[in-house]
Amino acid sequence: MHKKKTIWEFPWKYKESFTIAIALLITGFAIEYFIGKNIIWLPTWPTNLIIIIAFWAYFIFLDRYVKHPIINWLSSTYAAISAISVFTALILLMGFIIQSDKGTPSFISSIGLTHVTSSWPYLITSMYLMIILGFTITRRFFPLRIKNLTFFLNHGGLWLVIAAASLGSADSWKLSMVLNEGEQSNIAGDSRNRNLFEMPFKLELLDFDIEEFPPNLGLLSIKTGKLIIEKGDKLIEVEAGYEDKVGDWNIIVETYYPSAVVDGDKYVVSEVMGSVHAVFIVAENLLSDEKRSGWVTNGSMMYSPEYLILDNDHSIVMTIPTPKKYSSQIKVFYPNGDIEDVFIEVNKPARILDWVIYQVGYDEKMGKWSKSSILEVVRDPWLPVVYVGIFMILAGSLYLVWMGRTKN
Amino acid sequence: MTWLEYPIYVYLTSSLWIAGLLLLWIPKTYRFHLLAGILVIGGIVSLGYFMTALWISLERPPFRTLAETRLWYSMFLSVIGLIIYYRWKLRWMLVYTLLLSILFLFINYLNPDTFDKTLMPALQSPWFVPHVVVYIIAYALLAVSSLIGIKGLVLMRMKKQITGTINLADNIVYIGFAFLTFGLLFGALWAKEAWGNYWTWDPKETWAFLTWMVYLLYIHFRVRKRMNINTALWVLSLSFVILLICWFGVNYLPSTQSSIHVYSS
Ligand code: HEM
Repeated sequence: MHKKKTIWEFPWKYKESFTIAIALLITGFAIEYFIGKNIIWLPTWPTNLIIIIAFWAYFIFLDRYVKHPIINWLSSTYAAISAISVFTALILLMGFIIQSDKGTPSFISSIGLTHVTSSWPYLITSMYLMIILGFTITRRFFPLRIKNLTFFLNHGGLWLVIAAASLGSADSWKLSMVLNEGEQSNIAGDSRNRNLFEMPFKLELLDFDIEEFPPNLGLLSIKTGKLIIEKGDKLIEVEAGYEDKVGDWNIIVETYYPSAVVDGDKYVVSEVMGSVHAVFIVAENLLSDEKRSGWVTNGSMMYSPEYLILDNDHSIVMTIPTPKKYSSQIKVFYPNGDIEDVFIEVNKPARILDWVIYQVGYDEKMGKWSKSSILEVVRDPWLPVVYVGIFMILAGSLYLVWMGRTKN
Repeated sequence: MTWLEYPIYVYLTSSLWIAGLLLLWIPKTYRFHLLAGILVIGGIVSLGYFMTALWISLERPPFRTLAETRLWYSMFLSVIGLIIYYRWKLRWMLVYTLLLSILFLFINYLNPDTFDKTLMPALQSPWFVPHVVVYIIAYALLAVSSLIGIKGLVLMRMKKQITGTINLADNIVYIGFAFLTFGLLFGALWAKEAWGNYWTWDPKETWAFLTWMVYLLYIHFRVRKRMNINTALWVLSLSFVILLICWFGVNYLPSTQSSIHVYSS
């Protein structure tokens, strides 16, 4: 028979682990409530690196030279499970609560639940997770054996990703730049455009270009203001010769000009600014043989759209085309006098010095005639570390797929 | 091919699958089981044909809307069910996965999409297809593992042997979890390439992370095999709830005001 262990007697198991983890979470809420949210400060280079090194010195020192049951507990699965659970519980709350401090302050926001990722409970529980993970890695890392490799890839990779992404975030810059065609600029603003910064390079927008998906035609109910479309069906395509039935009407697209302007009572092909997609449509009522015909367009910032009224509830309208691609052709002036042309598109950023330039937007009022391009300029010196971590986890996971749970 | 032709394929695929399943109950003879396998594969092929044709006529991968992703869910569930059936000889597994697949097909039947070719620029990336495919495989496998977890709980109630069941659950969780990790990391790499951020705690990302964490919890519950199996199985079964919220429920949560991942309106 052995005596049942009382709480806080070593070795610590679930009871102790969860008591500690939950106490930490509550402490986090309390600090947030009493001290407030604006105290958290993220260290910049090189303080963040020193913190990381100090952590590891501490993990390794304690693991090697201090023989105490608490050190064993710090790398136990009990502690790990408590840390993962409490952190998950906090993120679960975040999953249900709108993350915005715009509304009136309430108890929920004062304990940090409306801005979880910049709150004390988040900081404290994620530190707990990182410390447990750190001790676990340290203990399994020595002796270095092949068997421990996947363990090291998964756990070490995760530690690196989190450490580099969180501690490194204070060193990263994310600014926005607006370029107008034909102008040179080296000014970028932060998210709320509160502060402006001078970039080490100058950019000139040579050309901004949008490619659009073709618009569609649809049957609009004038009473409800909504398109009438049978579930699963598609809208009418704009293509000369296209014929389709909608409601009681048979629609024939006779003419289609992707770019046209109005000329008296008809439309003519033209590429001028503000030109529209124009189709000439013939509609026949299948029941009464009534006929209607006329021009339908999508309109632009200069012309209002045209639609074809069929009867007192129905008309044919054109949808607004959505962008398929947009891109900027940019001339870069480097500080050393070099000049280079770069091309930027959504999903295809360009690298200039140690900055990465993303295409994020344009002047939406002008649509496809936009003469300006909105870019984001990002510098993230810790990125390679995050990538190393990500690829470590990917490699570790590949091994998991390969082996399954075959050990033991 | 548009969604208007979809009902034919729903009926064809489901009747092939149901016919296949019924054959499995005929006393075990090799011939009937072969035929059952052929019928099930026939259903998969018919679904695959619809998906391919839809892909071609959409001129973009059909991953954008919920209805489109449900097709993939049905596809991978049935394929995974069949593989597990042949690999581990689990008849109930095939029944579960096929019935679940049929359920997804019928949800789409009642709620089809409008045919829409547009694909916003941010989604036009080489990451798009691998990101979604690995996620769907992960979800299908993890859903299966949770069903095994529920079966394990039932077996424990009945005081039956569960070693085989839990070992199977472990294996499938490991593989499914690895795919989920791929999905998460591919997503992060892609987001960095498209928007300059790997992780923004957007509601869909938050829930994907939660799903990852709950299965991570299960894995760690199982590190020491002496640990309480009952608790581990409960964790596994409840993980399914998180998985379902992540997959279907996120769009309906109050916390989802504006999410970059909610494309369909
Ligand atoms: C990428 C994420 C993770 C993966 C894929 C992962 C996977 C694993 C696997 C497969 C094992 C069993 C290893 C074996 O039996 O040899 C394990 C053990 C363990 N993990 Fe994790 N884990 C992850 C994250 C974490 C985190 C966040 C913690 C802690 C906060 C943690 C703490 C532990 C502990 C303490 C063990 C037991 C090690 C031992 O006793 O030898 N893991 N993990």
